[in-house]
Amino acid sequence: MALITLTNVGKSFRSREGRSWVAVADFNLALDDGEFYCLLGPSGCGKSTVLGMLAGFSSPTSGRMELSGKPITGASRDRGVVFQGDDSLYPWLTALENVEFGLRLRGMKRTERRERALQYLDLVGLRGQEAKHPTELSGGMKQRVQIARALANEPRILLMDEPFGALDAQTRGTMQAELRRIWERMKVTVVFITHDIDEAIVLGTRVGVMTAGPGGTLKENLPVDIAGERTRADPRYIALYEKVHALVRAEVQRASARNAA
Amino acid sequence: MTEAPALDAPRSASFFARSLAGLGRGLMNGRAYFLGFFSLFFVWHVVAVYVVASVLFPPPYAVLLRGIELLQDGTLEENIGASLQRIVIGFIAGSVIGVPIGLVIGSFPLARKFLEPWTESLRFIPSVAMITIAVIWFGIGEPSKVFLIIYTTIFIVILNTAAGVGAISPNKIRAAQALGASARQIFFLVAFPATVPYILTGMRIAMANSFTTIVAAELVAANTGLGVMLWQGRMFMQINDIFVALVSLCILGFAADRLFRFGVARFAGRYDVTP
Repeated sequence: MALITLTNVGKSFRSREGRSWVAVADFNLALDDGEFYCLLGPSGCGKSTVLGMLAGFSSPTSGRMELSGKPITGASRDRGVVFQGDDSLYPWLTALENVEFGLRLRGMKRTERRERALQYLDLVGLRGQEAKHPTELSGGMKQRVQIARALANEPRILLMDEPFGALDAQTRGTMQAELRRIWERMKVTVVFITHDIDEAIVLGTRVGVMTAGPGGTLKENLPVDIAGERTRADPRYIALYEKVHALVRAEVQRASARNAA
Repeated sequence: MTEAPALDAPRSASFFARSLAGLGRGLMNGRAYFLGFFSLFFVWHVVAVYVVASVLFPPPYAVLLRGIELLQDGTLEENIGASLQRIVIGFIAGSVIGVPIGLVIGSFPLARKFLEPWTESLRFIPSVAMITIAVIWFGIGEPSKVFLIIYTTIFIVILNTAAGVGAISPNKIRAAQALGASARQIFFLVAFPATVPYILTGMRIAMANSFTTIVAAELVAANTGLGVMLWQGRMFMQINDIFVALVSLCILGFAADRLFRFGVARFAGRYDVTP
């Protein structure tokens, strides 16, 4: 059985003038345990809306969402979230205290949660930085803290909303390699939102391409059958890149044609 | 014995260098600060002795001598103590009442709608304008002064606290929800600490206002306090006494503000953007 299933999920909003508009429509997806699923699409297609619903920050206006057969209602610690910006970290806490925050919420003993948080800081390569506050850390380091904080809580699934979108190209490349390494070690299920085709192929085991919004839906799922280290010179990488690029380009063109009309 | 110091040497050397650099910076800052204060007294001296050259404008040393005199006979301590006590009691009471109200206004839109007519109308009455009614209601003793300080403190603290709650980024709350936080945990472990820098900033402004208010209130009706000292100085033409009171206000205000800035930096400023 799939870990997560989305059946005909839709989300519409009502604007202030009372008109309703559709952000996501008829979204169907089944995710297996241990997958690294990259959801790709042009901006405004509703991919972040899908992630927000998976996290439980908002609920769908139609359709069903289930985790291990149970309907998803509201946020819960079985779904960890990594946000794009660093504004989700708690600036009054140190890196270590940020990472152990989830454990503290459930009343774990101080020494126990310290030890666990240190393990996860070690995992994301932040050993020695535990006493620093978020303002003293670089953009990449802050995203590492976010990843450690989410993983330390041992969620069933890790939801990542363009986590490297605000980083410079150099740091982004490093973070992608790090995330890939962490995923291979932890074997946690990941849903990763991005608008970067390269990022999706380098990271994912499967890439989902969305149609242009409004009313975005899943257009196609493509498996990424490249094991081990992924290089951009690999012919399989190039072939897949071309294929995904064509899909995304078609959607962007469709959107601009519709806007022009 | 031969290995260990060699390994430790570079670390301790860099630590030493860093401490020295920090000390140097601190000294430089301290010296600039000292020079700033020195220039203040120097200009005062020059203006008083050479420009104005009148008994109506005493130079710093005359004020200092008079200050020592007043300290020795105990009147300065008595007056400073009276003013300070009123400020501290009123200020703490105003903050203790104001913070929860601000948190409620910031958290619940319905509470904001209900309470805003109160805060948004009453806060425009200057506390100085409330002196007469405070004296009529509470007499010339302590209660009227404490009431006025509460009045001058509470609205600024409420406003800043509510603004702080409004400024919490939604992702801070969402992150806590995804980590399994209850509504109660979100309030105490996320919303409240995120608001602390704003609360402290509000209190800092309120503290400055408290000084204005207490002097005005004591000028009008009181038996002790720095305001009384200023008033009596005028009545009996004791210019030096007036200046002692003014300098005391400078020092007290400066010290109180430093204390708050230190607090903001220690508890929040270093960790968050202070408005």
